[in-house]
Amino acid sequence: MRLYISCDMEGVAGVTSWEQVDARKPHHEYTIYRRYYTQEVRAAIDGARDAGANDILVNDAHGPMRNLLFDELPDDIRVIFGNRKPYSMVQDIEASFNGAFFVGYHGAIGDANAVLCHTYTPSVIYDAYLNGVRCSEATLNAGLLGYYGVPLLLVTGDRTTVEGTRRQMPWVRGAIIKESIGNFAADTISPIAAQRLIRDTARDAIANASTAKPLVFAPPISLDIQLYKTEQADIVEMIPGFTRTGTRSVRFIHDDFRTVFKAFVATFRLAATI
Amino acid sequence: MKLYVSADMEGTAGVSSWRQVDPNDTHEYPLYRRYMTREVRAAIDGARAAGVADVTINDSHWDKRNLLWDELPNDVRMITGTPKPLSMVQGIASDFSGAFFTGYHGMAGDADAVLSHTYSPETIYNISVNGVPCSEALLNAAMLGIYGVPLLMITGDRATVEATKKQLPWVTAVVVKESIGYNAVNTLTPAAACDAIRVGAQNALRRIAEAKPFTFEPPVELIIETARVENADFIELMPGFERLGGRTVRYVASEYSAIFRAFLVATRLGGAANVPS
Repeated sequence: MRLYISCDMEGVAGVTSWEQVDARKPHHEYTIYRRYYTQEVRAAIDGARDAGANDILVNDAHGPMRNLLFDELPDDIRVIFGNRKPYSMVQDIEASFNGAFFVGYHGAIGDANAVLCHTYTPSVIYDAYLNGVRCSEATLNAGLLGYYGVPLLLVTGDRTTVEGTRRQMPWVRGAIIKESIGNFAADTISPIAAQRLIRDTARDAIANASTAKPLVFAPPISLDIQLYKTEQADIVEMIPGFTRTGTRSVRFIHDDFRTVFKAFVATFRLAATI
Repeated sequence: MKLYVSADMEGTAGVSSWRQVDPNDTHEYPLYRRYMTREVRAAIDGARAAGVADVTINDSHWDKRNLLWDELPNDVRMITGTPKPLSMVQGIASDFSGAFFTGYHGMAGDADAVLSHTYSPETIYNISVNGVPCSEALLNAAMLGIYGVPLLMITGDRATVEATKKQLPWVTAVVVKESIGYNAVNTLTPAAACDAIRVGAQNALRRIAEAKPFTFEPPVELIIETARVENADFIELMPGFERLGGRTVRYVASEYSAIFRAFLVATRLGGAANVPS
């Protein structure tokens, strides 16, 4: 059984501040949380293995996307490192995977009580919608999995994130690691308890994989993005095929989900230049 | 009669170094921005002497707020600031009778063309449209062409103005300097350059009947060779762009204005990759 794991960092046990997850201006706390992050991914792998997954690809999907401590992971998996991947957090997903895990995920930008909530780039994306459905990173990423017929099986993170994902994809198993108190505080279980919970839930998720479904957005797929600032919309509307739907909003419609996904990536990269 | 002026800076008399045209430079830039303004003023004065009433100037260099107001006549309009969707030809419209490109420079890769580049030296290695290698002058002139507006005059170094004249033979070319490689020039003085530009502008308007709008035949194909592989990685994310090679992307459209906009957004998005990952 082939399993794909996309791992983010904000949903890891104990995380409540950007400093703990900022790999670019490494803070002494990052060093600690990077290890917890790796251990939670390890727990997901171990649980999946218990239930029969034997071919695992892990995509480091946080920040510069080179956070995982290699030596704390089993030696027979593959890892995708580095950012600037055209499919970003779900790079190299393909139809041969039987399912996927999203570990350490966080809430959508604008979610209340979701620690460090954002959608890809907090300084750019104010809200994102696919075919009218409000999207978290989990939604957007699951949409690309869905294009390849791959179902999301597990999500781990705070309650808001897990429940938000399960509302859109009820077949997904959720491991709730913490209760967020606003954007920068959480009532959290310990790293060890989180790893146990993730391992158990992962096992369960693989065992029940047959009940899971791919999340499919029917073409024509309409991507609506509200940007943070007017000047970002000024330049994003220059992308071929984009239309300006409001002073701070743009729309792109296309039949191929992959084109839509890459257009979303182009949007946040382009808007970040201003 | 309405005249459009797109004003760049590298082709100003005396300019031989990026420092002279970099608004962050506090030593040489303040001098050369005055010379740039005076050359624009000379172009306007020449045009006025030949009967032009309305003038719109588009400040087209760097962050596009270089021109000194107090050295310009008080009855012109100025387009200033960045970004602008049509960048160096923002504000072009079909009611202009013609256009001047002042202070222009050679395209990326031109020899003996001081500070030669095409929009973004860090991102763009080569541009071609329908197989024709393009300088900023040609890219911009084709956008004027969409509105039926002919380029009448270009000022800059010899390589720049002669290349443009080869492509647009009706253009009056004012050579203010001879480039010696990329960072040296044999140049007229600012005052002599202004005189030459004033005369050139007058001549250009006298010859306006010979001038033609320049257009690319549709369908229009844009090929961008990027400076680095990572620039192409980013550009390829956009719908409609096709990767032809490690540092080559292609975009095709039924009309040139879509190509011009695609080029501008590609330059910006491609440039975002120049920041370390």
